[in-house]
Amino acid sequence: MKEFMTGNHAVAQAVKLCRTPLIAAYPITPQTPIYEKLSEWEATGVLKGIMMRTESEHSAMASCIAASLTGVRTFTATSSQGLALMHEMLHFAAGCRTPVVMANVNRIIAAPWGFWADHLDSLSQRDTGWIQFYCENGQEAMDSVIQAYKISEQVYLPAMVNLEAFLVSHFMEPVEIPDQDAVDHFLPPLDLPHKFDVEKPGFLMTVVSSELYRKYRHMAQVSMDSVKDVAVRVDREFKDVFGRGYGIVEPIAMEDAEVVIVTAGSITSTARLAIRSLREQGHSVGLLKIRLFRPFPNEALQQVLAGKKKIAVIDRNNSMGSGGIFCQELKAALVHSEDRPYIYNYIAGVGGTDVNPEVIQRIALDAMERSEPMDQPMWIMEE
Amino acid sequence: MVFQEQQPNFLRTGHAACAGCGLAAGMKLVFQAMGHKTIAVIVPSCEGSIGGVYPNTAYGVPTFHSAFEIAAPTAAGIANALKIQGKDEIQVVAFAGDGGTYDIGLAALSGVTKNNDDIIYVCLDNEAYMNTGIQVSSATPSYAWTGTTPEGNPRRKKNIMEIMAAHYNPYSATATIGFPRDLQQKIVKAKSIRGTKFIHLLVPCPTGWRTPSDLAPELSILAVETNVFPLYEVEDGRRYTLNHEPRSLPVQEYLLKQGRFKHLNEEQIRQVQMDVDEEWERLKQRAGRFASRK
Amino acid sequence: MNIHPDLLNELLIPISYGSTAVIETGKWGFQKPYTNFMTAPCQEACPAGINIPEFLYLTSEGREEEAFFSVLRENPLPGVCGRACFHPCEANCNRSQYDESVSIQALERYVSDRASIEIDQIQPIPCGESAKSIAVVGGGPSGLSCAYFLSILGHRVTLFEAKKELGGVLRWGIPEYRLPKSVLKREIRRILSLPIELKTGVAIGKDVPIEDLDRFDAIYLSPGAGLKVSLKIEGEAMKRVWKGGEFLERINSKEKIRLGKETLVIGGGNTAMDVARSALRLGSKVTIAYRRTRNEMPAIKDEIDEAEEEGMRFEFLVQPVKIRQGQKRRLAVTFQRMKLGGSDEGGRPRAIPIKGKFLTLETDDVITAVGEQVDLSWIPKGFVRGGLIGLNPSPKVFAGGDAVDQPRTIATAIASGKRAAMSMDISLRGDSEEAILSRIQVGNKGSLSMASYLSVREGETSAEPKGVATYQQMNPLYFAPSQRVKIRKRSRAKTLKNFSEVNMGLRADEARFSASRCFSCGTCNYCYNCYFFCPEGVVSLDPFSRTRTVDFSHCKGCGTCAKACPRAVVEMRITL
Repeated sequence: MKEFMTGNHAVAQAVKLCRTPLIAAYPITPQTPIYEKLSEWEATGVLKGIMMRTESEHSAMASCIAASLTGVRTFTATSSQGLALMHEMLHFAAGCRTPVVMANVNRIIAAPWGFWADHLDSLSQRDTGWIQFYCENGQEAMDSVIQAYKISEQVYLPAMVNLEAFLVSHFMEPVEIPDQDAVDHFLPPLDLPHKFDVEKPGFLMTVVSSELYRKYRHMAQVSMDSVKDVAVRVDREFKDVFGRGYGIVEPIAMEDAEVVIVTAGSITSTARLAIRSLREQGHSVGLLKIRLFRPFPNEALQQVLAGKKKIAVIDRNNSMGSGGIFCQELKAALVHSEDRPYIYNYIAGVGGTDVNPEVIQRIALDAMERSEPMDQPMWIMEE
Repeated sequence: MVFQEQQPNFLRTGHAACAGCGLAAGMKLVFQAMGHKTIAVIVPSCEGSIGGVYPNTAYGVPTFHSAFEIAAPTAAGIANALKIQGKDEIQVVAFAGDGGTYDIGLAALSGVTKNNDDIIYVCLDNEAYMNTGIQVSSATPSYAWTGTTPEGNPRRKKNIMEIMAAHYNPYSATATIGFPRDLQQKIVKAKSIRGTKFIHLLVPCPTGWRTPSDLAPELSILAVETNVFPLYEVEDGRRYTLNHEPRSLPVQEYLLKQGRFKHLNEEQIRQVQMDVDEEWERLKQRAGRFASRK
Repeated sequence: MNIHPDLLNELLIPISYGSTAVIETGKWGFQKPYTNFMTAPCQEACPAGINIPEFLYLTSEGREEEAFFSVLRENPLPGVCGRACFHPCEANCNRSQYDESVSIQALERYVSDRASIEIDQIQPIPCGESAKSIAVVGGGPSGLSCAYFLSILGHRVTLFEAKKELGGVLRWGIPEYRLPKSVLKREIRRILSLPIELKTGVAIGKDVPIEDLDRFDAIYLSPGAGLKVSLKIEGEAMKRVWKGGEFLERINSKEKIRLGKETLVIGGGNTAMDVARSALRLGSKVTIAYRRTRNEMPAIKDEIDEAEEEGMRFEFLVQPVKIRQGQKRRLAVTFQRMKLGGSDEGGRPRAIPIKGKFLTLETDDVITAVGEQVDLSWIPKGFVRGGLIGLNPSPKVFAGGDAVDQPRTIATAIASGKRAAMSMDISLRGDSEEAILSRIQVGNKGSLSMASYLSVREGETSAEPKGVATYQQMNPLYFAPSQRVKIRKRSRAKTLKNFSEVNMGLRADEARFSASRCFSCGTCNYCYNCYFFCPEGVVSLDPFSRTRTVDFSHCKGCGTCAKACPRAVVEMRITL
């Protein structure tokens, strides 16, 4: 069944389909419609569970972690400042190995104030131990939430599904809503091995020695690494059931590409149009979408980028003093590539500025014309 | 209500509290009254430090060591998850220190109380940041020495009970280890009420209060008998009940037994007495009468 | 759901399931708490050595039967003492320095009245071959006490009483309104449930020569003070001049006595009070004439107060010198006016005549109550010293009660019977009296503990504590100030019409409250302070087996339990 809806409501639909009984949230633009929709469903009984209307995102995450450790599926949604306020608890959620799923609507981080799309809020949380997905549209956001639960509940790590402010969160599109029975079948109930048990009382998150800290961190890293395989498998299973799959990375028209454009999130949709017209003009340009950012899919990227000479990474974010974060990560992934590709970084769309097909075409042509490597990222600054 | 005196201990021996710790005594009494069908939340504070290092624990019920400022929402998350699971027989108790309650955790506690989530929140008030040394908190009383108020605390102790009452939560009570039966009865009463219950538990700290290690019970009794810390309950933010008719001893009897107050001059003691008298009169007016417990 | 293979064998997060009890935090401390019992001053003051803190604790817990047995272990006559004792326990009660002393006497009466209805059988402790046959002469409180304890210790006792009934002063001296005969009967019946051979109406020295008692292994002599003391003044032999002891005996024999409108009682002791208050009940207006002042009266203070409440009149600082016939068949008693002077050997102020000052009172009847003496005419001369019998005048002869040199009170009479019983048992067993008595002495005033004696006799090493708990050692912070329960009394309108008991005793709720007022000085009464306040949870208490244990391997030695013990039972000792 298809319905016309925003990305935010697609996320809310996914949470309902996953029968998540405990949601804790706090309002923040542009996430609030998720919170409101789920509150409405909780109030009317459409969603069986409890909405915890907390006094802050920090407490929302605290409640999600605690409820998760009690053995129930949990969800929260936030954005920007809210995510930043959660920072301490993001580490905690991962350290507690709780499969909390969160939707983050990517919004610029103040200051200055603004409300527009920018990936820096979630990318700033890349070291917190959360699985991170970046979604292109409402349908993908919905499907990614469902997949995120299935992945998280196998590896016991929290997952963040990112969708950009307004461009995805408020954009109305026809969205296919999966069948509830199929989702129930796809996603069995949560069974957390380390939950509270009054019959076997244990002290969770006790103080540990340095060696033990290292051990648990390493164990989490092993689990995080496994996500690359688990996510591929889950995506395949999802496609088998629901007919849609995304991969952890998506290569488009890559076979003969002289230049590969690398994108994440909604810019990918624009890039799909841009490379079509570039190809029509006779330029061999390919497109690679990175959907899974944490863990960073090194092996998959190495594989799809084998033999490529020029790569142009478009980053809707900037790590001050370093550059685009997707580009940094990609460079690190390809550092041992025998092809020694030139990797160019274009900072575009920061602050929610428009990245239209022409911008992408110009980036592709710029990369094509260059014969030397470029160390500094290039900021796309036109009005 | 008669509560059997000797209950199983859920604060095990071998914990790492300082000798004579009032907080440990308080937790022991609370745990006993809670019973084994309990999940406890603790946060960084003395109770986080004394609970043992992996693989051992001093806590005999499932316990979660959460982050500093979120004892309340952590407990609320557990409580709501239990409700979802239909496990109504298990109750959740959150322990936080005065810093974790009055200061860094106040917003979170307020949020949970506003929602009336079904938890028992116990503020283990030792009147300063003791786990990190001895630093002033908004629970530190007037003129008290701490490591960050070397000349004495210039501000009065925050009235947390009034803050709680302003939420109209079903039950808040003061208690102290010097009145163990009163404390345990209040916990038992709190268990019988649904919603956010707040227990303000004064726990003398021999280390931070600069007293000998054997004085915690005596000081907590003197705190009550001098009206510095009256024992009372507030129900639904409106009904006040005084639980103990104090002897109204002069405040010196309490203050001068403690090293943290030893520098007080007569004028300061007079000021403390005036503050205490004023608060006590106000409380008496609210309570209207002494109610004897059934 | 499938668990990822990497996670199967390992907990995902650190969860401690072990107990910190493996950590011996006891090593942190250099001092540990020890239990150090002390004697309570009330118990020390009680001639019978009743374990007062113990019986009050048991009463406060509602364990009345146990409380009664605790009292009975030391005192065979709790129903009597609970009414008629001069209760030095209360005068020495540490609580009297805080607010008001504990109502110990009323509580003794309470446990006795409550429990003795059920309990009229006492079991002796058989002592096998060491059982001896012993004669007890005199069935007053001292003789009854001696017979009781000897019998409990397993000996064969023959009790001789000159009168037809047992009880001595309790039967013939104390009036009904103070000690109902039914109470005395109950106590005697309980004592006689022990295997005691009773010979009433047999006066040794008269009906049976004292030499006949030689067949016994030991003899206890406790003749009461039955001889009336004369005032040695003119007119003492006149009609309507009564001797106090005789007067009381006739009342207690239910003889009809008629007194005139006014009666004058001469004396200031308990007999004088009993006489005067009995005279009131016979419808006379009574005045007590005493040669010193109210403060010096030897009578129990409560008795004086009650007499005053009943309308008694007093004439102080007067000494009778002559009784003669007055007008209209009345008597006229002339008194010498007195004043107080320097103290005598007993510490009381002397009464000194004021030269030339006299007072004459007219009255219908005069009753003198100035003391009694023991008839020693039948006692072998060698036993008598200074008008009294020695405590142990010959190896197998012991004496006590009014006949020996000690205050003439019920409690001291009971105490001397008890002491003699122990002494006899010790000597008949061939043990050393000195070594044993020092271990069973309750405090430093001479009382002895039968409980301790029994355990010492069983070979146990336990002994009575050495120190006596002072008020300064108590921690009054743990005691809420409270008042004694005012004992309910029958209305005066009723009591003065007959001899029914004046004091009505405590109700159950009053008794529990009164008992709970006890500081339990020096003795654990399971207040649970040490248990509640111990931050380590290492103190265990068992009020039923009466044990208190501390897990030293986890006691950090903070001293809280010792400091918080309201009764100084816990003491910290350095243990390096």
